[in-house]
Amino acid sequence: MKKAILSMAILVSSFGFAQTVSQDTTATRNQQQNAAQNILSGNISKGVTVGGYAQIDYNQPEGQNGKLDVHRFVMLLGYKFNDKVQFVTELEYEHVKEFYVEQAFLNYSLNDNLNVRAGLMLVPMGLINEYHEPTTFNGIERPNVDKSIVPTTWREIGVGVSGKFNEASLRYQAYIFNGFASVNGTKVLGGKNGLRNGRQKGAESTVNTPNLSAKLDYYGILGLRLGLSGYFGRTQATDDMDDIDGADVGVAMIGLDARYINKRFSARGQYIHTSIKDADDYNALYATNLGSEMKGWYTEVAYNLIPLGREQKLDAFIRYEQYDTHAATSKAGIDRNLSYNRNEWTTGLSYHVATGAVVKADYQFIDNAVTNNKTKGQLNLGFGVWF
Amino acid sequence: MNFKYILLLFTSTLMLSSGLPKNIQKKVDKEIKKIFEVEEFTLDPMVFPSEVTKELAADFGENTLFTIQENEKHLGYAYVSKAPSKTDDFDYLIVFDTNFIIIKSKVLIYREDYGGEIGSKRWLKQFIGKTQGDTLIYGDNIVAISGATISVRSMTKAINDVLVSIKILHEKQSF
Repeated sequence: MKKAILSMAILVSSFGFAQTVSQDTTATRNQQQNAAQNILSGNISKGVTVGGYAQIDYNQPEGQNGKLDVHRFVMLLGYKFNDKVQFVTELEYEHVKEFYVEQAFLNYSLNDNLNVRAGLMLVPMGLINEYHEPTTFNGIERPNVDKSIVPTTWREIGVGVSGKFNEASLRYQAYIFNGFASVNGTKVLGGKNGLRNGRQKGAESTVNTPNLSAKLDYYGILGLRLGLSGYFGRTQATDDMDDIDGADVGVAMIGLDARYINKRFSARGQYIHTSIKDADDYNALYATNLGSEMKGWYTEVAYNLIPLGREQKLDAFIRYEQYDTHAATSKAGIDRNLSYNRNEWTTGLSYHVATGAVVKADYQFIDNAVTNNKTKGQLNLGFGVWF
Repeated sequence: MNFKYILLLFTSTLMLSSGLPKNIQKKVDKEIKKIFEVEEFTLDPMVFPSEVTKELAADFGENTLFTIQENEKHLGYAYVSKAPSKTDDFDYLIVFDTNFIIIKSKVLIYREDYGGEIGSKRWLKQFIGKTQGDTLIYGDNIVAISGATISVRSMTKAINDVLVSIKILHEKQSF
């Protein structure tokens, strides 16, 4: 009996010894180069996070004066209260003088598979709205599908859940968001840039009906990532208008996206389709020209001219995109404007001089479906950083 | 039962409570049990002289590398450490067989939304079979994940550094 107790005691002892891994989560045990890149407090699992991204552009349309612009300068500021609770903000200057809060949300991580978050958040639709840092896409300007069809950077106040399933290589997001404003100040929705004018951006925004947004990402095939996004709801009308026919429209947007990378070759593409309900009443009420259907797609291929294993990367790319904010107009009670059926070729280079810093140059051929429309050219140069 | 046995049991209990934080320990135990199909095992920390470890690319300080024992039987090795993600760091585990060939890698705790895709079981499978002679190159023999570049690079570098360090430790006959 004594022997048995002694053996057990020794066994338990050795197990105890064996498990004494010092897991002091407040210590920066692993002093890797960028471990401290964003942590000011020196406390790795709790504290302040800073970061940001910026892009400075030069656009030179053929036959016109050019434009030099500090297009975006965004500071990321976050605070981690503990491993479960984090507050994240992105503060943005556009064109030097316009200030926005781009994101501001509180995230509560319940477990490995489930986060609950609320606040001003990005609507997960397509590629660029969520991944819009300039080092993550080719070309100086974001694709125009991600401007006129998906109004990037599209963010509203909402609440929802997100998480990942490692076994299935699946990420999900589902939110209830505030919707677009039917009328935003003096701006109305229309054919030129679709729903873009309706973004309320969390600034004293009007709310009368919730909108649902969800996205699934699958990355279980090596090198490939697929996304399926959906957004459904209605625009928000003010109290004095919301009983009137045409005060709001229904919005149903579906997006498919894919990204592929295989050694030095990469490709991406997306398709976005939007249906607008009650556009006829809306157009009659506000004397505008919002289509009843909008759609757009693009495809892009790129090849890295620098061998793998180096820090630098030089992507030569070509992209074709086609988008139409008047894809259907008959139910909207308006004539179709073919100049809103646009297409673009963009080709150029993205020279990643360091991880997080890119110098870009590209040329765009911009055309539309109007008969005998003359293709316009534009040269773009600039750089982007993300840290 | 005489007094010294009681003292020994008491000490054992204390040691159990001074180990890994529960969440890390639970995850490491679960993986090892699953991989080796064992119920009882011990993790014995390996200690190397600091003049050796300070020269290594990866952290081989106190309580990073362990031998996994089932009674007297040597099952393999476990390496537990941290690597940076975009704005935080994550805990990871690498399990080796007795010849230091990777048989499993796992992200134990990931603390931010961005880059969490590196936890994908399918993606982590790429490291299985890698050993000290291998050089892991992001984008080449380790495939990237779109939208998780920073963490993919970080995990690739971390595991590569561990493999390189093990090679050096072997050369110095530290095992």
